[in-house]
Amino acid sequence: MPTDPPPDRLITGYLKDEARVLNAQIPRKRKSLSELLEEEHPHVICSDGNAHYFRKKELESLSQMVNDDERRSLLLPIIMEITSDRAEIIIRTKGETEAKIFSTILDMSVICKQNKITIYRPQLGVIRNALKTTTQYVFFP
Amino acid sequence: MAAKVEVTRPTKIELARLKRRYKLATRIQKIVKDRLSILIMEFLQTVKECASVKESLLAEFAEAYKALTITTGYHGYVPLEKELLVSEMTVKVSAGTRNVAGVRMPLFEIEKVDPVKSKMKNAGDTSSILDHSTELSQKCLETIIQLAELENSLELLGAEINKVKRINNALEYIVIPGLDVTIKYLTMKFEERDREEIARLKHVKALIEQREAYAY
Repeated sequence: MPTDPPPDRLITGYLKDEARVLNAQIPRKRKSLSELLEEEHPHVICSDGNAHYFRKKELESLSQMVNDDERRSLLLPIIMEITSDRAEIIIRTKGETEAKIFSTILDMSVICKQNKITIYRPQLGVIRNALKTTTQYVFFP
Repeated sequence: MAAKVEVTRPTKIELARLKRRYKLATRIQKIVKDRLSILIMEFLQTVKECASVKESLLAEFAEAYKALTITTGYHGYVPLEKELLVSEMTVKVSAGTRNVAGVRMPLFEIEKVDPVKSKMKNAGDTSSILDHSTELSQKCLETIIQLAELENSLELLGAEINKVKRINNALEYIVIPGLDVTIKYLTMKFEERDREEIARLKHVKALIEQREAYAY
């Protein structure tokens, strides 16, 4: 006789789905800003196989904030690490380009220390408002 | 609601397994809470944006209707309708998706309207008033597309927030307390078993000592 699955197994199933969805938005390979500007439909492929499209206006506004070299080195989407133990958000970067962009958006100096930019949760809203498609979250336990 | 103790085998291996599960559940709950806070932040931002876009759309509509009324007065209803029937405008909307914290949301972008094709067929029958009215209508169309994207995003975000909230509540009020109670129950059971063992050993020791005393 078929019976309902026990609640524990049901919750485990939910959690499996949740873990799968949680970081599905991470791109398999990031693209440079100059590369994206040349594409007709700028996009990257996410880890779940779906495409994440960039808004052209956003890319154009980003390109106005940086110079030619930075356009080639800036990889998009910018990944923001969210760690549950900490109140701040970390952005790992190879250069100073991201810091330059964030300081322009936030209208304050943003420092890049040991290839890491630290921003706080209230600033996250401002950044996300300006860079909706060019930033991406990553959740860390 | 009191958490239920569910143990299949009261063994030390089971206890270790439960402790591992408890740790994992707590970690997952932290991530789920983080995701929930991010989704709520995104939702609130979208609500704000949606409200401002709606407001601007209403203003644009008012302006466009005003211009259309003036145009109708200038050209007359029938000639205007005739002109509008034969006129055409190409609108290209590119649709894609963007992923926000695991939620796939729509992304619509209106590509520049072809100025040649958007013109009226009969240049002789048009006027600058009609052109102005057309421009305003085009502007309205752009805002409508923007609003469609936002409204859809809002729905998707709301549904996801509900789902994540349910998972968070299940973890917070069912899974974690259940595991906690079971771990406590098993720990107490093992402590009790240890105490019984010590008491039994003491009793056996006393019996042996008694027997040895009688033997001499």
